[in-house]
Amino acid sequence: MKKILLSIIMILASISVHAAATATELEGSFKVGPAIILILILVSFIMVGLLFRAKDTTDYYAAGRGISRIGSGMAIASNWMSAASVLGMAALMFGMGYHGLAYVVGWTGGYVLLLILMAGQIRKYGKYTAPDFIGDRYYSQGLRVFAAIIAIFISISYCVGQFGGIGLMFKWILGIDYMLAVFIGAGVILFYTLISGMLGVTKNMQVQYVIIATSFLIPLFILLFKYDYFWLIPPIGYGSVVSDIVTGVPLNDAKELFNIYGHSFAIAASPEFAMPWAESSGGTFFQWMVIVFSLMIGTAGLPHVLQRFYVVPNPRDARWSVVWGLFFICIIYWTAPVYAAFGKMLAAHPEVGTLAVDAIVVYTAQLGNVNPLIVGLLAAGGVSAAFSTTSGLLVAGASAFSHDLYVKVINPEATAKKQLLIARLGTILMTVIVALIALLELALIAELVALAFSLAGCTIFPLFLLGIWWSGSNKQGAIAGLIAGSFITLISLTYFITGKLGVVLPYHDFINYWLGAWYFAWVGAPLAIITNIIVSKLTKPTPYEVRKFLVENVHL
Amino acid sequence: MENNQIDYHVSFFKPKTRRNLKNRNMILWLVIIWATAVFGFQILLRVIEKPVPEPAYNTFVSVWENVQTENASTEELKDFANSVSFVIGKVYIKPEYQAALSNAFTWSVFRIAGDEREQLYEVLVDFEKMQAESEDIFDPSYVESKKALETYIVKLLDIPQNDVRKPILPFSMSSQKTESYSAENMKITEEAMSMYLIHNRSVLTDTVFLGFPFHYFFTAVFLLVLFIGLCLTYCIITDRRIAKEQLL
Repeated sequence: MKKILLSIIMILASISVHAAATATELEGSFKVGPAIILILILVSFIMVGLLFRAKDTTDYYAAGRGISRIGSGMAIASNWMSAASVLGMAALMFGMGYHGLAYVVGWTGGYVLLLILMAGQIRKYGKYTAPDFIGDRYYSQGLRVFAAIIAIFISISYCVGQFGGIGLMFKWILGIDYMLAVFIGAGVILFYTLISGMLGVTKNMQVQYVIIATSFLIPLFILLFKYDYFWLIPPIGYGSVVSDIVTGVPLNDAKELFNIYGHSFAIAASPEFAMPWAESSGGTFFQWMVIVFSLMIGTAGLPHVLQRFYVVPNPRDARWSVVWGLFFICIIYWTAPVYAAFGKMLAAHPEVGTLAVDAIVVYTAQLGNVNPLIVGLLAAGGVSAAFSTTSGLLVAGASAFSHDLYVKVINPEATAKKQLLIARLGTILMTVIVALIALLELALIAELVALAFSLAGCTIFPLFLLGIWWSGSNKQGAIAGLIAGSFITLISLTYFITGKLGVVLPYHDFINYWLGAWYFAWVGAPLAIITNIIVSKLTKPTPYEVRKFLVENVHL
Repeated sequence: MENNQIDYHVSFFKPKTRRNLKNRNMILWLVIIWATAVFGFQILLRVIEKPVPEPAYNTFVSVWENVQTENASTEELKDFANSVSFVIGKVYIKPEYQAALSNAFTWSVFRIAGDEREQLYEVLVDFEKMQAESEDIFDPSYVESKKALETYIVKLLDIPQNDVRKPILPFSMSSQKTESYSAENMKITEEAMSMYLIHNRSVLTDTVFLGFPFHYFFTAVFLLVLFIGLCLTYCIITDRRIAKEQLL
């Protein structure tokens, strides 16, 4: 036993020496310690997936409805916290200051809407997927197909951002090419999603949450302690860091504190980091408000988030799992700005050079001379975040593909075995598509993710909101509302994509400002709701059976 | 047929049972609190804020006209270079502004140098050469050349020893930009100075709470606590109501 322990200590010591040697290289080299941690974590994901793999379609889609509320809360948090949250959030605040907080508020406040307007009711309705609910509630196969296609599109858009994050972290840790990094990540995630399904994914998400939270928080305690701030509660302790950035820290005040390059922990007064809607942040008051609004309603309309409520045993657990989920999410969201603030302080000297903003979380820990193994764990946590979200998205997309398109429309007589096969084929197809799009590097992680939110806010959210709370909303109204929401989406995306290709369409600046790709739901969602209501009022009422079901099963 | 006569209808705004009415009212209250906290606070922030310039901006404005017309005295040029360096010292200035500000700073420092221009130029070129050649930022020759340029600039601009801008200044100079200060760069400089030195401030941004500027604490910390509180309230009330109904 002693020999084994000694061997482990020797190996860890050896890793530390190698890791220390590469500590001052911010990127571009193979990092031994972080690489080993990453491999161990990936192996553990696969092992958990294997141990809890799906046995039938119920397991695959909804984890057998046997997940506890805290477990489900952790899964919600892990599913939710993507590369955009763990890596992109700090990046946004690092680059845009107070404007970046719109994403923190938008990505958490939406859960209040989700809980009070939808969670319990969705579980009571008792369907497996978002398109399932829409097809059933609006008694329309066409709407089911349309919703399934939108769900797949949302999943792809969201996944592309995650694959970008995975590529970025693999590139940093392994010192390999971005393209290869994306392929390796895609291979691993596909392998364990295929063999595990939702049950394995849910268990994995719980493990992943623990890894994400641990890896994210440890460097913060170290940074706050090291740079002489109140470290016991990081979300409070970093307040003084923000104030120091606003007022500036003179050289004398920071003479014994340095970054990894030996630069003084001093900074010129930079109030633009914390002051609202600073012109230099590139965001206006209007944009702040509509981003928050769009992200909030997008949260309540994302198929993979809504789908989490089908995996809890009853409506009460569905409600409480949101509270737990939000709590677990907030643990990370309270602390993400700490990385942005420390990043500002530690990267203030020009010799640090230009950093890839999306990886600022990792660079900040490195610049703060945090132990390389802990930095490695942090990077692995970023990968874990991207993995957890991607797996949930792939299951949601595969469910839409097999359950809503194949079983409900193409082959209603399909056996359980056939359904599982189609779900797995759907997962493979989606992974290939996502990996190929991710290689094109079309946009930043956060951009692609925010786009998915607006799309969900314009299309799925209005259908769920009215579908649950107004029995007068009928098929015709739903179709009209969906067309209206999709029309706004189409306009915004057309201008966004053509803009990326360098084509300037008429009213380019006007549309890009008022219907920006990250927040077009502020127009699309209300328009879809109003259109739905007007058309529903003017057409044949909702069938008696649907209204009866709503009253007796959802609102009783 | 008989069942068809029952009016099954769900409307959030027209609840049909006492239970649904209570549920509707609770949701409305929670939404009002949520919306006021999220959007109301930001609107308040917007209404009461005022653009407040940093002292460096006022200095810049006082000498800018003379700098543009090339009538600035040495002291005015010092003020100009100093005010520009306050923006250069900030982290991550947009690249298009960086180039223009570097031009403004280098040009003004060389004008201030007067007879020492050639000497300053040599020190600057030596630093740029070392910067290009050194692979390590701890290379003694590189460190020495950087220090020499820093000392020169600090002396010319009368920058205090404790000033945080000091180590950054050598990186703000360019030997390609010593002679002229283009009209286009002047325009960009003016834009950058107002962009980076004027901030929206109010009592909510200037009050410090738990170390934070208050508005920052409210948005980044408190709102998240509130969201959890609202969710918790909803779940507890709903559970109690259901339990009560089951007892009845």
